[in-house]
Amino acid sequence: MGDIVSSTVFEPWTDPQAEPLIRFRNVTKRFGSFTAIDDLTLDIYEKEFFALLGPSGCGKTTMMRMLAGFENPTEGSIELAGRDIANVPPNKRAVNMMFQSYALFPHLNIWDNIAFGLRRDKMPKVDLEARVEEMLKLTRLEKFAKRKPHQISGGQRQRVALARSLAKAPKLLLLDEPLGALDKKLRQDTQFELMDIQEKTGTTFVIVTHDQEEAMTVASRVAVMDEGHLMQVATPDRIYENPESVYVADFIGDVNIIQGRASAVGGETYSIDWAEGQGQLTATSATSFDNGQTCHLAIRPEKVTITADRPEVADNVVQGRVHDIAYLGNLSTYHVELPNGTIIKAQTANTRRISRRSFTWEDPVWLSWTATAGVLLAN
Amino acid sequence: MRRAVLIAIPYAWLLALFLVPFGIVLKISLSDTAIAIPPYVPTLDLAEGWAGFRAFLSELDFENFVWLTEDDLYWKAYLSSLKIALISTIFTLLVGYPMAYGMARAPEEWRPTLMMLVILPFWTSFLIRVYAWMGILSNEGFLNQALLWLGVIGEPLALLNTNTAVYIGIVYTYLPFMILPIYAALDRLDGSLIEAAEDLGCSRLQAFWLVTIPLSRPGIIAGSFLVFIPVLGEFVIPSLLGGSGTLMIGKVLWEEFFSNRDWPVASAVAVVLLLILVIPIVLFQRNQQKQAEAEQ
Amino acid sequence: MKFKTLTLTAVMALATSAAFAEEVRVYNWSDYIDEELLTKFEEETGINLIYDVFDSNEVLETKMLAGGSGYDVVVPSGTFLQRQIQAGAFQKLDMSKLPNAVNLWDVIQDRTSGYDPENAYSINYMWGTTGLGVNVGKVKEVLGDDAPMGSMDLVLKPENMEKLASCGVHFLDAPSEMIPMVLQYLGEDPDSHDKDVIAKAEPILAAVRPHIQKFHSSEYINALANGDICVAVGWSGDILQARDRAAEAENGVEIAYNAFSQGSLMWFDQMAIPADAPNPDAAHKFLNFILDAENMAAASNYVYYANGNKASQPLLESDVIDDPAIYPDEATMQNLYITTPYPAKTQRVVTRLWTKIKSGT
Repeated sequence: MGDIVSSTVFEPWTDPQAEPLIRFRNVTKRFGSFTAIDDLTLDIYEKEFFALLGPSGCGKTTMMRMLAGFENPTEGSIELAGRDIANVPPNKRAVNMMFQSYALFPHLNIWDNIAFGLRRDKMPKVDLEARVEEMLKLTRLEKFAKRKPHQISGGQRQRVALARSLAKAPKLLLLDEPLGALDKKLRQDTQFELMDIQEKTGTTFVIVTHDQEEAMTVASRVAVMDEGHLMQVATPDRIYENPESVYVADFIGDVNIIQGRASAVGGETYSIDWAEGQGQLTATSATSFDNGQTCHLAIRPEKVTITADRPEVADNVVQGRVHDIAYLGNLSTYHVELPNGTIIKAQTANTRRISRRSFTWEDPVWLSWTATAGVLLAN
Repeated sequence: MRRAVLIAIPYAWLLALFLVPFGIVLKISLSDTAIAIPPYVPTLDLAEGWAGFRAFLSELDFENFVWLTEDDLYWKAYLSSLKIALISTIFTLLVGYPMAYGMARAPEEWRPTLMMLVILPFWTSFLIRVYAWMGILSNEGFLNQALLWLGVIGEPLALLNTNTAVYIGIVYTYLPFMILPIYAALDRLDGSLIEAAEDLGCSRLQAFWLVTIPLSRPGIIAGSFLVFIPVLGEFVIPSLLGGSGTLMIGKVLWEEFFSNRDWPVASAVAVVLLLILVIPIVLFQRNQQKQAEAEQ
Repeated sequence: MKFKTLTLTAVMALATSAAFAEEVRVYNWSDYIDEELLTKFEEETGINLIYDVFDSNEVLETKMLAGGSGYDVVVPSGTFLQRQIQAGAFQKLDMSKLPNAVNLWDVIQDRTSGYDPENAYSINYMWGTTGLGVNVGKVKEVLGDDAPMGSMDLVLKPENMEKLASCGVHFLDAPSEMIPMVLQYLGEDPDSHDKDVIAKAEPILAAVRPHIQKFHSSEYINALANGDICVAVGWSGDILQARDRAAEAENGVEIAYNAFSQGSLMWFDQMAIPADAPNPDAAHKFLNFILDAENMAAASNYVYYANGNKASQPLLESDVIDDPAIYPDEATMQNLYITTPYPAKTQRVVTRLWTKIKSGT
């Protein structure tokens, strides 16, 4: 996960000279007494595939609607290509949006749906036709041009919505849960298709989603949001490997959180006193902790090794019994219950067939991980 | 068996409440007037059996329909009714659409109340409501008094007993029939479609014209037919609010029936009116069907 | 089981009592009787009276010609009565059941025999004239103090009508009364059934047509009383009602009724018993009750119409019997004319002419 993007050298956010395409500056948005966005500052760069990720009600949709022009910030400003767009109506912005419901015009056929925006620009007929054909080709919809939206499948509708919003070659394309209505298999195929189209057209994409896997797959950077705040903005791999908070660690993927008290051992190493009658755990952290400060060790299940015998060399070892097994086909997640009742999840790849699985329910097992496997978080 | 019964019920309904009465009216339209009870001949005497029936048939003719073509009163009345029905339908649409639009755009919690307000007038007798308009529109009526008081006019406007009053009465009476289907169409309209149109470069007005109007078209068509069809044969509103110059087929029909006591010609007028109405009704049905297909 | 039998008996008892309670159904013009008389009839005879009203001869006639109206007593006007008798809609009266018929006034009997030969089918209830109702103040204001308020000139001369248009003129929507009126004005036989004679009415009416606000047979009562209009050609009793309403309202409107100096149409509302009346016996009892001098006087005192009952005259109040608008003096009486029903073909000509005048088509 995340390898695809992190292997490219495209990282304008690390370049202090780069001009962001979109600038949120101290933006606050209130609906009556409810604060949807709270003093939020964010830069998004050209050609980025930027994901706004969070649970429903976190403010991600409000962010997108402010970009589209359907809402205006209560305080602060939003700039697009260096220009404040606060009072620019939606139809005057070089921004297009792909709606969650697709919002295809049911009374127009596919061709006319795609041509709708171009017609508003009074584009000459020849150019218009060429552009629509280009879009149909890009989204592989040539055969369906004369059909009405209710005569095609959900996946095809999704592509029409994409073609329609791309037709005007916007500087910025907003995608509101673009794949939410598709089934899982189609969703995965479409994710790659989206990335492909984004790369081909060179358009800046901002996607809103509650599906962390989708965000991780498609985005160059992910912003995790909660209750109107940005919790963390980073590349997918950093979000996953180096969450800055328990919230982010917990929201992205599966994680074990172990609460305890840190005490410095030396260098960047800390020992964690976490439960009565259990040995201390060891972890490294770049951020420093005071002695006795409450800390949370976040460790991904796949970084926990499960063995029948106590491993010879390991920074952290605990013993427990297999409480539950979640079989996912390629992976299995073991829920191991420690003597004090804590459950720790460990994940292994199923390289063997299921009949030859090493552990079963109630087996005593040992869990181990290295000092660098987890992340030590203050909150 | 059950299926057959289910199909038979609507047909029995149609037969009993439409085809049989229509057959009777058609039969009268082919008869001749007489001073008798009932005031036309021939009447069917079933006691004489088959011969009686044949004698009865032989006396029927299309004389009354020929008569309708000979006096220009009839086609002028049909034409004038069509004109009044058409103009009132347009006015009802112009008044009703914004109201339906406002209702569909109103906050969710207000809508039942607004809907109630639209339907509320039905709780009072239609006649009383038309009489109320006579009170409002007369020379000494509320409207003229208010306008005089405001200084908008110096002399009372002659409204009552004019075609203007008829249009006001019709628009008022039939407004709910226009509002409800349009509201139903607008209520179903996905708000994101309007946002999509704006997002793609439409101004508010363009979005309304290019998206809202076409998508509420089924409601507009249904509402227009629901107004047009009954207004064409309207009798009460023009006779109460209209002047003597308001020529409508409903009034002509009344005069044939009551003043001339000519039931056969009155029936012929009614048969022709029905034929004129069948055309829009068929169009309406087809529209409904198309809509149903589109929704599948 | 016992309970069931009991209920069943109770229901049967109810049903039989309902069937045996005698009832009589009367269909009369609206606002045409003192309602206390209805209660009095029920008290005197023990017959249940069901009283229903209509407001146009045409509606009544349609019910009569359709048959099976279910009414025992109906009240058509003379010309309509005559046609309905021809159609066989009524039964002959049994004079032995109408001892009060001796009260009838021979002057009126003479005239009604024109519609109902020998008065075999009907008795006269009320009669009146068709004339002019004027808002005295307004008409004087428009036409001056010497306005011809009792003459057809007021409503048939365009120069007068032109001025009156501003304050509003209503005509009866009754061609069978309005056309004879114009013929009388022209000096023709008002009862003419000749198409060419009838056609002479058209130019006169067409000339004043633009100044007529409405043709209607009942709205003028309120319109006159409220001051919405200043002149109406209408029925005597209706205009007198308007006069009283205006007086009661104290709105400064003064209404007066005058028969035309050129001669007014005299009309008669006759009580008759439909051929298929469910209870002709009770119908006779009702007629006899109405023929009683005291009852008839009460009715006239209430509705301000003259009746055909000689014996009731001493019992009438002076504002009825002494009002020449209700009981015209001898000279005016001589001037009144009556009409007979048009044959079907002529009726069509008259209706068509009327439609043309009203709508211009």
